Amino acid sequence: MMENGRYHRQIILNGFGKAAQAKLSEAKVLVIGAGGLGCPALQYLAAAGIGYLGIIDGDHIELSNLHRQILYSTAEIGMQKSVVAAKKLTELNPEIEIVAHPFDIDKQNVLEIISDYDIVLDGSDNFKTRYLVNDATAQLKKPLIFAAVSGFEGQLAIFNLADNNGTATNYRDLFPIPPSVGEIPNCEENGVLGVLPGIIGTMAAAECIKLVTGIGKPLTNTLLHYNLLTNEQYAIEISPGTDYTFDDLNTSQPNFMEIGAEELDQFIANPSAILIDVREVNEVPQLNSKLYQKIPMSGFDTYLTTEIEQKNIILICQHGIRSVAAAEALLDKYGNTKNIYSLKGGIVKWRNYFTAHE
Amino acid sequence: MEIEIISFGKIAEFLQNQELQLEGIVDTEQLREHLENKFPRLSSMKYKLAVNKKLVQVNTLINNNDSVAIMPPFSGG
Repeated sequence: MMENGRYHRQIILNGFGKAAQAKLSEAKVLVIGAGGLGCPALQYLAAAGIGYLGIIDGDHIELSNLHRQILYSTAEIGMQKSVVAAKKLTELNPEIEIVAHPFDIDKQNVLEIISDYDIVLDGSDNFKTRYLVNDATAQLKKPLIFAAVSGFEGQLAIFNLADNNGTATNYRDLFPIPPSVGEIPNCEENGVLGVLPGIIGTMAAAECIKLVTGIGKPLTNTLLHYNLLTNEQYAIEISPGTDYTFDDLNTSQPNFMEIGAEELDQFIANPSAILIDVREVNEVPQLNSKLYQKIPMSGFDTYLTTEIEQKNIILICQHGIRSVAAAEALLDKYGNTKNIYSLKGGIVKWRNYFTAHE
Repeated sequence: MEIEIISFGKIAEFLQNQELQLEGIVDTEQLREHLENKFPRLSSMKYKLAVNKKLVQVNTLINNNDSVAIMPPFSGG
């Protein structure tokens, strides 16, 4: 397998050689999220010869993904990301095994999926997944490569890996509890230049290759900040915190459901349901105020102190991200006593539906 | 005393990198309070401090010419 020249240029590197290449071919790596960070990370990991490469992502390809999610083409809009990614990566390197998990990682499946892999690379796009993946990998003591972006900046770190002193840290040592609803915007709300996750995702792949092969000095217990505009890097030494707990995983927890416009229809003008638009007051298109109650995210904490009478609560926003945050907040309050729904993809995804039902 | 403030992500939008003159502030708890008074948006955010590139987990003394980083969590991908 290694004799065919595919890996020749890296095998001849000083300090790498056939031994390092053999380690790559034996490694099992899971990439969470086949988006802006996941695409470049997957491409370089597949090309480098990681022997068993998993991709988990339940999303479909959208036009607005293509400026940064460079595994996908315009003709593939609407297709499953993990499936398309697996096909493209197999074309790139048919000598490795590539596994697509075409669904979201959640509390019920996280431990089972992660336990098949040696290393996890988190390129997801939301705090819910990031804390879930952190807690699962920390409890399984699996090395976690953390990569994230905000604006023109990136963060990169390696967790759950003991340094020379035997100290291992995780994301909760940095940020013990997740930010509250709407506190930190994501790429959809804040924007992102495509090349930034390209850089950070590629750096994450490099950290993964360093970990597997044992070359260089990986970012163990180190948080690296990268600024695209200035090219500045700033590395911080992470020490263990004390005051946090991990979430219980693999237990059957109450949950909310993500629905499409077809399922939304049954709740319109239905007295058992309240439809809540959590966008800020100035966001367009405006929805019919007789059907949709406007409770902006900025005031949602206050709203949570009031009681909702209806049994079915449907949350709606522009892209289906803030509505998930609102659904989680309501889930914390009501548990299984209400049916809570979030419109997946938001008003942008179902624009035709909202135009037709004005 | 004078310290250097280095901020990241959303925090950098309202609290730019700067040299900060401090009077009567000796540790990171007092600095946190001072910054949250001066920049109220900070008080509603999760963030972590690092003094001279070391993460602050317990109240830490600050000395003249220290550099203090202020970091929010990033989640984008």
